[in-house]
Amino acid sequence: MATFSIEIVTPKRVITEENVSYLRCPGIDGSFGVMAGHTDAVIALGVGEVKVEDSNKEKWIATSGGFVDISSEKVLLLLETAEQSFEIDIERAKTAMKRAKDRIEEKGKIDIFRAEAALIRAINRLKVSGR
Amino acid sequence: MANLKDIRNRISSVKSIQQVTRAMKMVAAAKIRKAQERMEQARPYANRLKDEILTLLPEVDRNLLELLDVREVKRTAYIVITSDRGLAGSFNTNIIKCAEEEILEIGKENVDIFCIGRRGYEHFKHHKYNIIEEHTDFWVDLDFNHSVKIGNGIISHFTAKNVDKIRVVFNQFKNIMVQEIVSERLLPLTLDKDVEIEVTDRLYEPSKDIIVKSLIPLHLNIQIWRYLLESYASEQAARMVAMESATENAGDLIRDLTRKFNNARQAVITKEILEIVGGAEALKHQRG
Repeated sequence: MATFSIEIVTPKRVITEENVSYLRCPGIDGSFGVMAGHTDAVIALGVGEVKVEDSNKEKWIATSGGFVDISSEKVLLLLETAEQSFEIDIERAKTAMKRAKDRIEEKGKIDIFRAEAALIRAINRLKVSGR
Repeated sequence: MANLKDIRNRISSVKSIQQVTRAMKMVAAAKIRKAQERMEQARPYANRLKDEILTLLPEVDRNLLELLDVREVKRTAYIVITSDRGLAGSFNTNIIKCAEEEILEIGKENVDIFCIGRRGYEHFKHHKYNIIEEHTDFWVDLDFNHSVKIGNGIISHFTAKNVDKIRVVFNQFKNIMVQEIVSERLLPLTLDKDVEIEVTDRLYEPSKDIIVKSLIPLHLNIQIWRYLLESYASEQAARMVAMESATENAGDLIRDLTRKFNNARQAVITKEILEIVGGAEALKHQRG
């Protein structure tokens, strides 16, 4: 299968640089797949999971958003945060989820959008960690 | 010849200075590894994002965001990044000197200053420059939120049309021995003449405008973050080198003083022997 090179970078570090055959990204308007020979594009990403497929292995990465630049040379993912499924701290994600839920129930006092965003991120982490 | 007690006191005071400089060197050396690692890992993202912005710029609609404004330059703002503490060799002096030269060329009255770090703030305040904001005492627990906070102040100063151009003067980390002073333009976002960007036909999702709107502020914050990390790593490196040479100098001084001390001690002993011998001779003569 034709492969293409991807690079996943966050402000904290470079997550990976490799050749893959398939990539799935959580676009703001829905998930989409990328294969070799994709048309050039810049696409904004939301909270979700990035799936990377190679001939014999698969990898899942939880992200809280960013964007992807697809060009013929390579596919560059610039993400705000990115954690591979095995790196995720499940306990921390669970506490974050609980905290966010509590906040949402309190209502009124707090920024509901922020709490909801935190909840979505926590759920996403837990989901990816189970992959 | 200085007296013995004075020399002994000096030796012990130089020794305690040496202990302090050696400790400071160790602390800086411990900090530098972490600072350097952090900076090196942040570089790729900042650089990739900058490249991305450059490819977007040629075809961007300048009316989309106030941040994209290109105005005739009447006022300039300078962001001067120094450290909070001294004892880092010429780290702060060089930055301040470089910034000051550039500012005086434009004219002190046409420049607003954002001071990052206490050293720069104290200097520019003392010389009555026009300081808009100062950010001090955050280096110890430096994190991305600081750069967002600093960035917001700077961005709003630009979008409020108080200044038409923003430059940054900071220390860029080359390696432990070398830090380079860099003065670069942060805003307005324009392409340098010698950079050629290939404009490709690309797809934008959800739309180009939305992407540009979210990327530009992010880019500025990330750039400021990079400046802070570079400066922090440079500061630690400069301090380590400065303290290492201070420790060496103290060693030299101690050696010199010890030699002087021994000379003086020897002189005292010689004098005492002379006195005893002289006394004995005198006695011999009396008896004889």
